[in-house]
Amino acid sequence: MTTTVAGRAHTARERVDTARSSPRKRSWAPYLFISPFYLLYVLFMLIPVAVSLWLSLTEWVGLGTPHWVGLRNYRNLATDISFHRALGNTGVFVLISVCVVVPLALLIAQALNTRGLRVRDLWRTAYFVPVVVSPIIVALVFGLIFDRQFGLLNSVLRALFGTGGVDWLGDPGMAKISIGLVMLWRWTGYLTVFFLAGLQAVPKELYEAAAIDGAGRLRTFATVTLPALKPVTAFVVVTSFIGAAQIFEEPYLLTGGGPAESTLSVTMFIYRAAFQRQQFGYAAAAAVVLFVVVFGLSTLFNRLLGIGRATS
Amino acid sequence: MNTPTRTGRILLYPTLVLLLLAFLAPLLWALSGSFKPRGDIFAHPPELIPDPFTLHNYRALIDDQPFVRWFVISTVVAVIATAVSVFVCALAGYGFAKFRFAGRRPLFAVMFSSLSIPFAVILVPLFVILVKTGLGSPWFALIVPWVAPAFGIFMMQQYIVQSVPDSVLEAARIDGASEFGIFRRVVLPLLRPALGALAVWTFLQSYNSFLWPLVLVSDSSQYTLPLGLQTLFVSEQRQYDLVLAGAVLAVLPAVALFVLLRKQLLEGLSTGAVKG
Repeated sequence: MTTTVAGRAHTARERVDTARSSPRKRSWAPYLFISPFYLLYVLFMLIPVAVSLWLSLTEWVGLGTPHWVGLRNYRNLATDISFHRALGNTGVFVLISVCVVVPLALLIAQALNTRGLRVRDLWRTAYFVPVVVSPIIVALVFGLIFDRQFGLLNSVLRALFGTGGVDWLGDPGMAKISIGLVMLWRWTGYLTVFFLAGLQAVPKELYEAAAIDGAGRLRTFATVTLPALKPVTAFVVVTSFIGAAQIFEEPYLLTGGGPAESTLSVTMFIYRAAFQRQQFGYAAAAAVVLFVVVFGLSTLFNRLLGIGRATS
Repeated sequence: MNTPTRTGRILLYPTLVLLLLAFLAPLLWALSGSFKPRGDIFAHPPELIPDPFTLHNYRALIDDQPFVRWFVISTVVAVIATAVSVFVCALAGYGFAKFRFAGRRPLFAVMFSSLSIPFAVILVPLFVILVKTGLGSPWFALIVPWVAPAFGIFMMQQYIVQSVPDSVLEAARIDGASEFGIFRRVVLPLLRPALGALAVWTFLQSYNSFLWPLVLVSDSSQYTLPLGLQTLFVSEQRQYDLVLAGAVLAVLPAVALFVLLRKQLLEGLSTGAVKG
């Protein structure tokens, strides 16, 4: 008798406890799960961005106390030809990435999506390999390939066409193209993976319906494939934009930003100002400009294209 | 799926093979060059098969250069960064995928928007905070940029939404499991493929990183692999032979890891993008 009562009382209390504690536990749980990220986010992202904003209003050589100068760094940037060049060059790299690399990746994905293609996985893997390779190795190897006198590229051109004196890295126009070629080599396979996954997720029925309607290849591509690829394309365009906007290794290692600053990127400009010229405040101001442009544009793209909402 | 036309079918394989050559030629050339004496690397016309074949470059790299130390530093840093990052991403991804709570949408948006903050923006302040204030040992500072990637959280969230059914979580709750217990014993095992993909990705990012170590590490005894290789390249007598051998050795773990887990990685990467 007593045991039963005690037992019943026990379960009753337990029930009350769970009823009381469980919703509370549930309501705290998600915050506990996401808190490690936000802790790190505040420490290593939010605070640095704030410090960057503050530093950009100071003059500081990296020693002693930063000296408040208000908006002077920004005024200097507005008239700094090197910074204008860096912005322009970075713009060119972004255009190469979005207008050349992305369409090429789509074409390759389209080819890899051909019905009955053998060893699809082998092609996809081989094209992806450059992404796995460290940028320093990419730059070192391409540095040798682009060498004017001894480089592989010129000796292949000489063997094929008899002329091969192209100054790949020494001529301002060619240097930009060479950097673009390296970007193409490095990132095409990576983006192909996204397009291929998108293409394989297109319902077969849509293609069959288009075939029944007598749509040709181009019409099928325009009315079935492209609309179905919209989310992937949006993602790929925004990621390539953000990636190309902060390009550093290729110009730093291949050309050092030259010749005549023709390949100087904004990230290189920031690096040079802070760590080679000890102009920390000036570097921070350039970083804030980069932040405003990249963050503003990609947020705008994301809004327009509907990426990154907490959907489930 | 495309049904190819006849010309398309005829052109398909040659085009794919040409592309394959374009993608792999630089690496094959580096591989072949690493077995040649320095004088032969730039021979005209370039020879694919090294003749004479030599292991001297590899021996010189390992015996005369601190190559092994560079390698160990890079690998240890990458392993720690990967472990921390994968755990943080899985936790947050699960939080966002399986709970409805006040502030979920704005918090998610804040997390996602950090994808659009270029690293160069936090480069200077991070350096100032971690180095100038003496807070961070290089070991700690080297892993910092990789520990909380929004990309990984997004990937995890998408994967969990698609492949962890609510019913399993409810069943575990009725059995009286704690929330963290459910995460550890029920959710994590289900996430294995996505965790593998994210781990490989983070490892490669950290192992291959250049800009942050370049800024951070001034003491040559603490060089990471990319920094070390760079010294061979920019030194007085450009040591092309050693550079190529080092490039081959450095890329081996990355390629091996990729080949082993490529299915997971290639599919995991595109999980989020397809649905948008």
